[in-house]
Amino acid sequence: MSGNYKSVFDIIGPIMIGPSSSHTAGAVAIGRAANRIFGGIPEDITIHYYESFAQTHKGHGTDYAIISGILGFEPDDKRVPDALDIAHEQGIKIKFIEEAGDSPIDHPNTAVCELRKGDREIIVSGCSIGGGTIEIRDIKMDGFHIKPKGPLPILLVQSENGGNSENLSDKLQKINTINHHAQYDAPGKGIMYEYDLENRLKQKDLSQLASKDTKMVYL
Amino acid sequence: MYDTIQELVAASMSQNKPISEIMIEQEMAKNSATRDEVWSQMSKNLDVMAAAVKRGVEGDGVFSKTGLTGGEAVLLKKYREKGHTLSGDSMVEAVQNAIATNEVNAAMGVVCATPTAGSTGTLPGVLFVIQDRLNLDRDQMIRFLFTAGAFGMVIANNASIAGATGGCQAEVGSASAMAAAAAVEVAGGTAEQSSEALAMALSNLLGLVCDPVAGLVELPCVKRNAIGAGNALIAADMALAGCTNKIPADEVVTAMDKIGRGLPRALRETGIGGLAGTPTGVKMKMTIFGQSVDVS
Repeated sequence: MSGNYKSVFDIIGPIMIGPSSSHTAGAVAIGRAANRIFGGIPEDITIHYYESFAQTHKGHGTDYAIISGILGFEPDDKRVPDALDIAHEQGIKIKFIEEAGDSPIDHPNTAVCELRKGDREIIVSGCSIGGGTIEIRDIKMDGFHIKPKGPLPILLVQSENGGNSENLSDKLQKINTINHHAQYDAPGKGIMYEYDLENRLKQKDLSQLASKDTKMVYL
Repeated sequence: MYDTIQELVAASMSQNKPISEIMIEQEMAKNSATRDEVWSQMSKNLDVMAAAVKRGVEGDGVFSKTGLTGGEAVLLKKYREKGHTLSGDSMVEAVQNAIATNEVNAAMGVVCATPTAGSTGTLPGVLFVIQDRLNLDRDQMIRFLFTAGAFGMVIANNASIAGATGGCQAEVGSASAMAAAAAVEVAGGTAEQSSEALAMALSNLLGLVCDPVAGLVELPCVKRNAIGAGNALIAADMALAGCTNKIPADEVVTAMDKIGRGLPRALRETGIGGLAGTPTGVKMKMTIFGQSVDVS
């Protein structure tokens, strides 16, 4: 059993703009994850599609969906179908590439998103596993190469001085179940802690976990 | 979380609670949510479903941008008004509800994915017709959705609900199985009968491929929801009559997963094989997207 679907509302829901939960709502969700990892809206976006995404992105509205997410829209936002125009008006450069090969993260609905602004670039590889539910299986950001198991929620905590891992794990264990934990080093950037969690975190829990010397990304 | 349908049914029987109640309690525990929060979110989903069923039959109906689908829920409504349906008014009403919902989806309207957008019409197709047949109140309709969701979670976690992974059997097949199981509960059947209804509904749709013309969620997706709804009602009736599937529900789910993995990529939501690959399907794709695929 995969256990990817954790809530009844993953099955009955989401409320969304059609036409496809995997290729539209799921694409919005992948875009939103990229937006959170980037920490805002980029100047330049390249999307690499694989397999079913490469073959059917046009028909399913995947292009505007993924850009909606990168712009920070929710799946049921009325602006979703107009996201490409909205991005162009903001001067964002966008490129879609249909890749002929197999998905690098081994799923037929794969999008690899490159987001750039100035010197900074992040690469997020996500897949849409059905019904709007997604996995994030590969993240390259700020010198770190993070390889989560896939299922959300995922909490990333970057600590420049390397401290407080035990403290954070303790706090998390009290309010949640940690399914997987990993840490990554990047020269001069400190340590990135990855927590794959069983349950969604509430906003108040997130603010309690935050501290001055860490940066958090919650997916 | 329940790993199998057998465990879900056993929990319902030993705790003497309907599956909808088990699902509500699990959702509350998992998300430290109150009953009101969980209930009101599902209530919102029900409103979105009702709105799509209604919107699909207003005026001349809704049409997709491509013109491949639309307006047929209205044709069905008018046909029903003449009173000479072959399969009975309830069955055609279920078909009308299912098609209305998927026409709204294809026209980029707002839907509630149950479990997916491609299969979004199947559950409302069944729910709003049995609302009339059984005089369901709003609470019972919300419970229908929790029960459907409980069974759907087991299917999704053990097999798949994505056409790209498992074909249409994973989408409309799963939706039909969920609807059949939930219909049995609101009709007063047992948890075991729900499980039998699920097993029969899913067994009937095993092997169904995902072959959308031009990669659009239109042909044949809209009408596959009509068969999803009809099949769910038939399976629910068979289960309530005491018929059984002989092959247990969990084994049917595993079979669906294996069949999905065995399907060639051309039949898993790539818009290449099946109906998408027919001369007419290919021509439609050319007309809509042109020869070259421009990607700016």
